Formats: sequence, structure tokens, C-alpha cells
Amino acid sequence: MKRLAVMVAGLVLLGLGLSQVSPFRARLEAVLHQGGHEFAQVMLSQDKGQALCSQYRDKLPADLIPGFLAEQKALIKYPQSGKLLGDWKNGEKVFTDPKRGNCYACHAGVASEVAHGTMGPPLTDYGQRGTLEAVVRYTYEKIYNAWAYVPCSLMYRGGVHGLFTPEETADLVAFLLDPNSPINRR
Amino acid sequence: MPLKALLMAGALALMGLALAQEGVDPREEAKRQKQLLLETAGILPTELIVEQGKDLFNRKGPSGKTMAECDFGLGKGVLEGAAARLPRYFLDTGKVEDLDSRIITCMTRVQGFKPAQVKRSEVVAVAFYIASHSTGKPIQVRLLFPEERALYALGEKLFYARSGARDVGCATCHVTYVGKRAGVLPYADVLGKDKSWTHWPAYRYSNDQIWTMQDRIRACYGNIAHPQPDLYSLPILALELFLAYSNNGAVVEEWPAFVR
Ligand code: HEC
Ligand code: HEC
Repeated sequence: MKRLAVMVAGLVLLGLGLSQVSPFRARLEAVLHQGGHEFAQVMLSQDKGQALCSQYRDKLPADLIPGFLAEQKALIKYPQSGKLLGDWKNGEKVFTDPKRGNCYACHAGVASEVAHGTMGPPLTDYGQRGTLEAVVRYTYEKIYNAWAYVPCSLMYRGGVHGLFTPEETADLVAFLLDPNSPINRR
Repeated sequence: MPLKALLMAGALALMGLALAQEGVDPREEAKRQKQLLLETAGILPTELIVEQGKDLFNRKGPSGKTMAECDFGLGKGVLEGAAARLPRYFLDTGKVEDLDSRIITCMTRVQGFKPAQVKRSEVVAVAFYIASHSTGKPIQVRLLFPEERALYALGEKLFYARSGARDVGCATCHVTYVGKRAGVLPYADVLGKDKSWTHWPAYRYSNDQIWTMQDRIRACYGNIAHPQPDLYSLPILALELFLAYSNNGAVVEEWPAFVR
């Protein structure tokens, strides 16, 4: 059983797809380990979403998209309390921390913060959308697992990878949506 | 040795200027910095390293042989254009080798050094020297041997693979987001118009570092918080073969290069 599971994981590895024969896979594994075991391990533990994005070079065929989105959605965990809107002050810390949110690498945030990337849309004044349940839920799920809405996005799945917890995700949501958050005040 | 001191002084002199020049075309800026350094120091760090590499090339190993006894792909001792045709498969080792690994093969198999005696700094210096003989040459990498084709296929897979906690891969930055930037430099079109294969080995003036493509690739893995593949390992070689082949025909403007 274990062996079978390993085989199946191996087949989607690096997006090789199910048609690949196993000598190729064995060679691939050997080559990866030659680069160091830690390196190989990260490559070999590619999950199904990563493998599909690799295989299709970020352009999933239309018929795969609904299944992909559903599988990504299923990876989302929620806070025990059920509260998706947390503490914006802690959210700001997570947002700024390069090891956790690292959000400024790609997004504009608080208007006075000029050191930010532009690969993602600006999040300044994000709170204009209000705090209706649907907005809060979308924002939570987007931040926890960006691929649940945009397959293979550049925005990585911070919650899925444990870079921040469900509670911290709720804090990030508050940082974006709370009217008192500096992101919504100029 | 004045070499190091000279390098330091030069690098420090242009640091402040480099920082003040964001938003400028990085290639043009590198040219300007190079000119500036040439005027202040009288010699370029790249030239100094090439000289160092030349000395090492002509140094006798435990076997009594210099590196002129080695075949870098075009015959014993032939350096003219040799680096522009690497990586390639070598019959004597039965392996695909790039410039770095072929230098190690030369030092261990021909010159008689023990693998543990081979210093990275020496490999890089010799790589600078050998590469300097390919300035003006077009990249000509072939996929003739099955080993080359297999490694190329792996390199392509690795290039497009998205992995690790940041869910990214080489192609995310260097294909999908070409021209965008997170830091100072825009992401290069490494498979296409930027002809990135011809930019390494190089001296990086912003960090006072001498790097071959091996170091460049490892640094990119580091940037995405991914464990780095070991130096001289097959994953690096696979990516190199894929990159080099994609840049076939591109003419080397200057090796070693001078980059930010
Ligand atoms: C590596 C770059 C990158 C990082 C880091 C990143 N994002 Fe994004 N983000 C993007 C991109 C690109 C998009 C647009 C495509 C998409 O929706 O996935 C986006 C979209 C979004 C959206 C949807 C915007 C809308 O108008 O609906 C939100 C919300 C968001 N990001 C929040 C965050 C937060 C919060 C963080 C930090 C935890 C973060 N992002 C980190 C790149 C990034
Ligand atoms: C997060 C974005 C990112 C990822 C992912 C990434 N790189 Fe880079 N890469 C950079 C940056 C930034 C530079 C320096 C600026 C430049 O020249 O593009 C760079 C430079 C390079 C260069 C030199 C370009 C030149 O013209 O001199 C090469 C070659 C390269 N990367 C290869 C790779 C490979 C191979 C991978 C996959 C292992 C990779 N990169 C992954 C951001 C990235």
C-alpha cells in the first residue's frame, strides 16, 4: 500500500504525467538526489497542484480547472473559533514579515510604504469592498490558498504551506478589511 | 597581494553610485560602472581573475602536467572557442560536463590532484581564463549523445517545475514575469532575448563576487527559499544544458562578463 502511494506520487512528480514510464522516473529520482537530499526531497514532494502547473506550464486545460479549484479549496483550513476577521494589528506584522506573509514583495499596501513590488494588484484601500460575509470569506480563502481562485498564480499558497496559521490568516484579512487598518486610512 | 585590496577599493568606490542608480537600464548601468572602475583602478577585476586563472592553468599538478594537457572539447590544449561549446558529452569520462566540471576533471584525472584538494576559487579563476578565449564566439551546444538529450529533458522539467513552499520555479520569474521586478533588477528572459547564457561567468560589481553559471543558478534557488542543489551536481548541469541550448547562436559579447 505504502509502495503504491509512493509510486503514484512519483508519477505526477514534476508534472511528468501518467504516461511516463518508470525507468525515466527512476533516473529522475537518482539525478535529483545527486543534487543533495534536501533538494531532492523538496522536488519529490511536489504536490498534485504543483505537478499540474508544472506539466501544463501554468496554463491548465479548461476541463481541468473546476477539479483543480475544488481540490485547492479542500486544502483550506479555518480558525477553530470560526472567526475569519481577526486582529488587524497582528495582521500587519504577518503581512510585513518576509518569512510569513511577505506580501509587500508583490503588493502595495499602506500608502506611505513605498518599498513594495508590483507583481500583484495594489491592496491599498482594499477595505472599500466592505465586510459582507462573502467578501470576508473570499479574502480569507484567497490569502490562505491563492490557487483556490486563480490556478497556478504567482501568489503562493502561504496557508497551505504553513507559512502562517488560520488565525494569522484571519488577522491578515482584518488588516485588509478593517476600516481602522492603515491600509484603509490615508 | 595587492589584488584583493585593489578589488575592494574599486568595489567600495562604486557602491554608493550603484545604489543611487535604480530604475536605469541594468545593462547600460553595468557598462558605466565598468568604465568608472577602469578609470579609478586602471584594471578590471575580471582581468585580474583571468590573470590568476592563467597562472593556475600553467601551474604543474602532482603529475607534473599543466592544464594545457587537458581536452576541453576541441582537442588537447585548445581553448579558442571551447567554452562556447560547453556543456557537452565527453567520451573519456562518459559524462556531460560544463566548464566547471571539466576543469575539475582536468585537475583530478590529468594533473593528479585529489578531489579534496580542488578549491572552488581556483575552479572559478580557471573558468574565467578559459571563457576569456570565447569572447566573440557564438554559443554552439549540441544534443547528439543520448546522455545529452536525457539531461536536456531533465533540465527542461526542472526549469518549468513549480515546487517548494513558495510554489515557484525558474519559469515563473524568467518566462511568465519577464521584465517585472521584485528587487532592483527586472527578471531576465533567460531562454530568449536576454541571451543570459552569455552573461556568465561574470564579476558582480554590486556584491564583489565572481560567479559561474553554477553559482547563479544556486543563488536563484536560494532566492525562493528552496534548498540549493550541490555545486557540480546533475540538476545544475541539466539546467545549464537547457539554458545553453536555448541560447544557441547567441554571440558572447564578453567573457568573463561584468554584471550588476
Ligand atoms: C509572489 C507574489 C505575491 C505575493 C508574495 C503575494 N501575492 Fe497576493 N497576489 C499576487 C498576484 C500576482 C495576484 C493576482 C493574481 C491572483 O489573484 O492570484 C494576487 C492577488 C491577491 C489578492 C486578490 C486581489 C483582488 O483584487 O481580489 C489578494 C487579496 C492578495 N493577493 C493578498 C495577498 C496577501 C495578503 C499576501 C501576503 C500574505 C499576498 N497577497 C502575497 C501576487 C502575490
Ligand atoms: C523569484 C524569481 C526568480 C526565480 C524563481 C528564479 N530566478 Fe533567476 N533570477 C532572478 C533575479 C532577480 C535575477 C537577477 C536579475 C536578472 O538578471 O534576471 C536572476 C538571474 C538569473 C540568471 C542570469 C540572467 C542574466 O541575464 O544574467 C539566470 C541564468 C537565472 N536567473 C536562472 C534561473 C534558474 C535556472 C532558475 C530556476 C532554478 C531561476 N533563475 C529562478 C529571479 C528568479
